Amino acid sequence: MNDFSELEDQLRKLRPVQPSPELATRIERALAEPETSSSTAGLLSRERHFHFNWLSIGLGLAAATALVLLAFVQLHQPAKQTPTVASTKILPPVTPSTAQLVPAGLTQVVYHTRDEGVHFPGNSDQPMRRVRSHTRETLQWRNPKTGATLRITYPTEQISLHPVSGQ
Amino acid sequence: MQNVATDENWKTCFSQLAPGLVLFARQWTRSAADAEDVVQEAFVKFWRRNHDIANRGLLYATVRSVALDLLRRDSRRARREATAFSDADQSVQPAFEVNDDSQRALVAALDLLPDEQREVLVMKIWNDLTFAEIGSALEISQNTAASRYRYALAALKKHLPST
Repeated sequence: MNDFSELEDQLRKLRPVQPSPELATRIERALAEPETSSSTAGLLSRERHFHFNWLSIGLGLAAATALVLLAFVQLHQPAKQTPTVASTKILPPVTPSTAQLVPAGLTQVVYHTRDEGVHFPGNSDQPMRRVRSHTRETLQWRNPKTGATLRITYPTEQISLHPVSGQ
Repeated sequence: MQNVATDENWKTCFSQLAPGLVLFARQWTRSAADAEDVVQEAFVKFWRRNHDIANRGLLYATVRSVALDLLRRDSRRARREATAFSDADQSVQPAFEVNDDSQRALVAALDLLPDEQREVLVMKIWNDLTFAEIGSALEISQNTAASRYRYALAALKKHLPST
C-alpha cells in the first residue's frame, strides 16, 4: 500500500542522540524561578527594561486638563432660561492661552421634560410653573494645531420657573 | 492535562518528548547545545503558560518559534562562524546515533533535504505527530504537510539507490 514503508522503517531505526541529563535539571531550575527571570538559556537572555508609557501619561494629562476645563466652563456658564429640545452652539473662540485645546462647541439635547405644576417660590405672590428637564450636554475641545478633538458628554438636570399668566 | 509549574508531571512529559524535541530544534541550530537551549526556553515558556501538553502542535510551534528567533538574533555571529561550524561542529555532534554505513548514508541523505521537507519528516518519524498536528505547528494545511512528507521520502529514496 505504501511505497515508502521500508524506508520509513529504516528511518525509525535511526535513534536521535539523547539530550544531556543537565537539560532536565536546567528546566527544573528555570520552572522554579519566578517568571520575570525566566531567561532560561544563556544565549536567549532578554533584558527587561522599564519603559514609560508616554501615551498613557499623555492621555491621563489630557483627561485631567479636560476635567479642569469642564469645571471652569460650568462655573462660568450663564443660567439657561428655557429648555431646548436639541441645539448646537458654537462657542466663541477663546484665546488659546497655555492650553492647547480650545473649546469648539457645546451640544445640548433635552431628552425628558416634566411639568411639576404651579408653585410660589420663596415668599413671592406670583405663581410660577416649575418645569424639570433632563438634558445631555456634550462639550468639545479642539487643538487647532493638530486637529485633535476631545469630547465629553455628561447628563444634567435643570429646573426652570415660568410665570403663570392669563388668569 | 493542566500544567502547573510546581507540578512534577513535566518530568514525565519531558522525558518522553525530549529526544524528538531536541532533534527538531537541531534543524535551526549550529550545535546540540544550542538545540538544548532552544528546547529549554520553549518548554519552560509552554509549561508556564499552562498550555495543554496534549497540544503537541503548539509545543512544536513554540520550539520552532524560539529556534527561528535565536537564528535571527544570532545571524551575524552565525555568518561569522558558519565555516568553522560546517567543518567541525556538525561532524563532532551528530543528531543521530549511527550504527552502520547504511544509517550513515541515510543521515547524509537527510541533510540534503530542503528544510520544509526535513522538518515535516522529523516531526512525523521521530516525534509521531499526525499530519494535522504538523499542519498546526507549521501553520500549513494537513494536505500540504502530507505532501511535503511524501516528497521528502521520495527525495530520500532517490538519494539511496539500495532502498
